[in-house]
Amino acid sequence: MALTLLTVFAAAVLTHNMALTYLLGMCPFISLSRSLRTASGMGIAVVFVVTLTAIINWPIYNLILVPTGTELIYYIVFIIVIAASVQLVEMIMERFFPPLQAAFGIFLPLITVNCIVLAVSLFMVIREYNYLTTVVFAFGSAVGWTIAIVIVAAINEKLRLIADIPKGMTGPGIIMVILGIIALSFLGFAGVVNL
Amino acid sequence: MKKLQELLHATARLKLFKPFAAVFETLEGIIFGPTEITAGAPHVVDNIEIKRYMTVAIIALLPSTISGIVFFGWRVLLMIIASYVAGGIVEVAFALIRKREIEEGFLVTGLIFPLILPPTAPIWVVVVGSAVGVFFGKEVFGGTGRNIFNPALVGRLFVTIAFPQIMSASWQKPFSDAITTATPLASYKSAGELTGLMDLLMGSVAGSIGEVFRIGIIAGGIFLMLTKVANWRIPVSYLASVALFSWIGNLIAPDLVAPPLFQLLAGGLLFGAMFMATDPVTSPFNHESKFIFGGLCGLVTVVIRSFSGYTEGVMFSIIFMNALTPLIDHFVLKVKYRTAK
Repeated sequence: MALTLLTVFAAAVLTHNMALTYLLGMCPFISLSRSLRTASGMGIAVVFVVTLTAIINWPIYNLILVPTGTELIYYIVFIIVIAASVQLVEMIMERFFPPLQAAFGIFLPLITVNCIVLAVSLFMVIREYNYLTTVVFAFGSAVGWTIAIVIVAAINEKLRLIADIPKGMTGPGIIMVILGIIALSFLGFAGVVNL
Repeated sequence: MKKLQELLHATARLKLFKPFAAVFETLEGIIFGPTEITAGAPHVVDNIEIKRYMTVAIIALLPSTISGIVFFGWRVLLMIIASYVAGGIVEVAFALIRKREIEEGFLVTGLIFPLILPPTAPIWVVVVGSAVGVFFGKEVFGGTGRNIFNPALVGRLFVTIAFPQIMSASWQKPFSDAITTATPLASYKSAGELTGLMDLLMGSVAGSIGEVFRIGIIAGGIFLMLTKVANWRIPVSYLASVALFSWIGNLIAPDLVAPPLFQLLAGGLLFGAMFMATDPVTSPFNHESKFIFGGLCGLVTVVIRSFSGYTEGVMFSIIFMNALTPLIDHFVLKVKYRTAK
């Protein structure tokens, strides 16, 4: 059991990385990977929200929707849960970490539409995970996404010092190129762990 | 000699050749060397510049190049020319359109790239890989000295992923025409078969063009380190960590992880550690982070070699660690700064 959990975690971080394998959560990825500080802040917020929503969504799906035969509406239910928990995170941040909240600006509410939050809940349904696996998978996916955004943010900070990027490639363009090359190198781990 | 230089200058000044000024400047630089001695940082009073770094690197690569041509025939020379032409076109196009100088960093990239390909790789693969490597690995970041990833490895990685069949089935033993899929690492993975260490050292095994003659690589690497073009910390920590992790792995799971001495000599490890991980642009600039860089490279290499679907992990590990380089530098600087206070 512990081994399966470890495998799921490693797979979610390395071989099935949300940002590098599925290319999910790109909007916040591109806008917030300019500096290490905001990137790691966003990463922590995503880890928190993703794990929290998975913890709430699993019982709702398996204990309420499945027994009552209303799996049809799981998209709507998941989205509502996600929106509510993002609201919660925002209120906590506003109260305790105002500078961080100011740095996020519009992007914190945008976690609602960060694809990986919904993707984790949907993967948990498709792959028929049990409760513990779901939590570990959600945590691992969010950690993998955070690692990716922090790596790219550090590269971006270095690029600002040394690079001389052609006009058309600045901003999102160069980030997509960097992401692509990192994704190529992550392919090397294919087969190390499987879901 | 002087008259020739003046003639070149005169041609370069003609209106007709204005858009190609960069080409002439490079020609002059390659043929005559730098004329001015720089006065300020970073080259204080010597007339050393990127060019000399590149010349030293190319001299260090000569044993591998020549042994490649001797072992695998004249086709190798054709591949090197193809790589230079394809990458050169991209480089010159960028320089002309952006009105910059042509940079000499390309001379090393264009030579390394064919050396890390299987000997019977089709010429068009060389062309595609070299062009992609120079374009996405270097030019979009602004050219030599501004790239994050090793351009030759970006090209190699791209062709490995894009054309897996061609890349995994075009190996060849030196002095034979038979195409094989069994590199030492591959035959260990499929049959648990260990190739003799002497065979590995002398290069009588299948492998990439430049990686098989390992004595030449070691000599070239030591030459690079003695001239201080490559920093000794990266190869030493890289090789040490491969030895350490494969020793531990071999104790725990002997049928998955190959023994350390074999791992050190097999595959592209020596070539990668000496010539590619040490690239001063894409590796960290702190002494401490260089050790971390090399150590993690070794760990990733052993993990990929032993557990993943790929037989060789050197190129993945170096690109992976290139990506982590800014992060490592950032944290090492932070820790150092704190202890200094």
